[in-house]
Amino acid sequence: MFRKIILTGIAMTSALAIASAQTKTIRIAEHRQARIDALKVVVPDIEKKYNVHIEVVEYPAPEKDYLTKLLTELGAGNAPDIFNVPHGPDVADVIAAGYVAPITTELKAWDGYSQLFDVGKAIATSKDGQIYALPAMLDVMQIYYRRDILEKAGISTEQPKTWAELLDRAKEIKTKTGAYGLLFPAGVAWGTGSFEEGFRLLIVGTSTPQIAADDGKLNVTGQGIKDAFGFYAQLINSDLMPIQPLLEPEPWVVPKYEMFPAGKLAATTGGSWGYIYDWGAQSKNPIPNVTQVVGTWDVPGEQGGKYALVDLNGPWLVNAKSPDVALAKKVMLELASVKADVAYAQNLGNIPGRADAAADPDFQKQTELVPILDALKKGSGTYLKTAEGFSAVAEGVGRATDALLRKKTDATGAQKILVDYVKEVLGNDAIK
Amino acid sequence: MTTSAKGSSWQLQLLLLPCVLLIGALVVYPALYSIYLSLTNASLVGVAATHPRFVGMGNYMRLFTDGGFWHSLFVTFWFVLGSAVIGQFVLGLASALLLRRPLRFKNLFNSIILLPNAVPEVVAGYIWISMLAGGAHATLNRLLGTIGISSVSWLEQFPLIMIIVANTWRGIASAMILMTAGLSAVPPEVSEAARIDGASPRQIFRFITLPLIMPTIFLYMLVSTVTTISIFGFIYALTRGGPGNATEIISIYIYNQSFTTFQLGYGSAVAAVTLVISMAIGLVYVRVLKVEV
Repeated sequence: MFRKIILTGIAMTSALAIASAQTKTIRIAEHRQARIDALKVVVPDIEKKYNVHIEVVEYPAPEKDYLTKLLTELGAGNAPDIFNVPHGPDVADVIAAGYVAPITTELKAWDGYSQLFDVGKAIATSKDGQIYALPAMLDVMQIYYRRDILEKAGISTEQPKTWAELLDRAKEIKTKTGAYGLLFPAGVAWGTGSFEEGFRLLIVGTSTPQIAADDGKLNVTGQGIKDAFGFYAQLINSDLMPIQPLLEPEPWVVPKYEMFPAGKLAATTGGSWGYIYDWGAQSKNPIPNVTQVVGTWDVPGEQGGKYALVDLNGPWLVNAKSPDVALAKKVMLELASVKADVAYAQNLGNIPGRADAAADPDFQKQTELVPILDALKKGSGTYLKTAEGFSAVAEGVGRATDALLRKKTDATGAQKILVDYVKEVLGNDAIK
Repeated sequence: MTTSAKGSSWQLQLLLLPCVLLIGALVVYPALYSIYLSLTNASLVGVAATHPRFVGMGNYMRLFTDGGFWHSLFVTFWFVLGSAVIGQFVLGLASALLLRRPLRFKNLFNSIILLPNAVPEVVAGYIWISMLAGGAHATLNRLLGTIGISSVSWLEQFPLIMIIVANTWRGIASAMILMTAGLSAVPPEVSEAARIDGASPRQIFRFITLPLIMPTIFLYMLVSTVTTISIFGFIYALTRGGPGNATEIISIYIYNQSFTTFQLGYGSAVAAVTLVISMAIGLVYVRVLKVEV
């Protein structure tokens, strides 16, 4: 009897050892609880499909800290097999470092490829013609305004046609309601958000609408850059946007999560996540009937036109040093499945990067997001081309707008801060 | 040397070996690697991440014309002087002198002074943020509001002074412990003899106690100066070096260069120069002031 037990134990241990030896592990980096929760929705399906064990490596929440830790690990060669970077503009710098494996062949052969939006494919295509980033989710950036407050005060809710008209609208809001008229993220404390959620929305509507030149250099000396800083200066100097909260740690908390729901701030730039994460179902301070109460404008151009800026949201990348790059690529493509896209949309409010997600019953329940996805299907959306060095541009914009917030400089001075910073980090040759 | 002495020396060296290996692996090697990095354009992003180029003394040359570096040294100087050399020392010594006397709530005072050391530095940073934030809801402004003083953005208007105050608060306990140790080594009969000779308490402190605890004071100055130069987490949590670069002490400057702008090579050059500065300060204390430590 005793011998039987021993033999059975040995057999079971051996079987387990063989099974675990056959099951490979793929490590996926993710940050912020809402994103981690969304990822975990699809992990069991992927594990079953590829007989793989997936380890979700949870990172600190602030995007800057996440990126720093990730880059350090990538540099050391011990980063997870699959990771995402917080924003599209980070992608070019990570690719240039050689951290990322191209997925062009696998992506084009994937059955979901035809469903991906063209704008997502275009943003994901690098200057060498290769695709490295999986455009699973998209950001759609606009201006969100409190329709209820404007209507009550008799202020027009029509789409502003120019920057001047937008500024006039913000002044009218301040005069008639006492609320701050318009927020564009700014300053060092907001991190890359000052660029991602603010500055670049203006740039696409200027006379120099792209920063990345065809030769890979960065055009930060253009008139459009100066004009965009000028727009910020007018908002700040006319007391149209709250300044003090932007100078403190976590500067988005007070204006976005407190002032906007309380009606003390009437308009702000933001992404589709505003309807879910900031003021909707996932918010700690939700606005009742958010889609009725909060309306959207496209960002007007300096002299006309209107722009809804599209970018990759947390684009997935495969670590070039992964022990099993081929398997990592297969697993990563599953992160752009309809189920994964819908899970991320439900938790965060980002827009799926594929058209067929619109037909998913669970996505249809996200009534706030359906019209935005429909607009993407119709081909709307502008994007800012990126290039190596965009991380420095984003940081430089943070520093320049920080000086504007403190009223230490004007538009010309802010542009000089940006140019000097980019030169310092990337060298004179990087600038056009 | 006798055979037994040789054997004993060999055994001592063997006992020291693990320590030497650990210091070599965890201190000396990283320091040397950092110096190597400082001679390259190594970065965390871009081509230089995987193929760093040797730039010789380029980073050091850039450093000497970098206004940001000199500014951070300037901020660090005032921070160390204000918080470690003056604030922590004066209050630490005062606390040690006070707590030598029989007091009714001695243990309570001891606990209050030691409490800042028990709080993790990031938590302490956030405590001070809530204390010093702008607006009427911040703790200090709320307290001042009760006596009719309007709100002040302390970290915006007086950032350097505020980090000096906060760091003084955090370091009093260390100073007090060291000063208490120094004071306990002063023979009570010396003070007693002086008192019998008619010396006032002030004269006893000035001419007897202070000279006798001078080695302890210099040891404290050496330790606190070098450790305050390298403070990072507390101030980073509190201000991240801002507003602007008003509180960008040298450790935050190194972090920002290395991990915010991703220039590992340049950040390493700043770190190497900071190391030299710290060593120079240590040498001044140890050699010029003839302190035995």
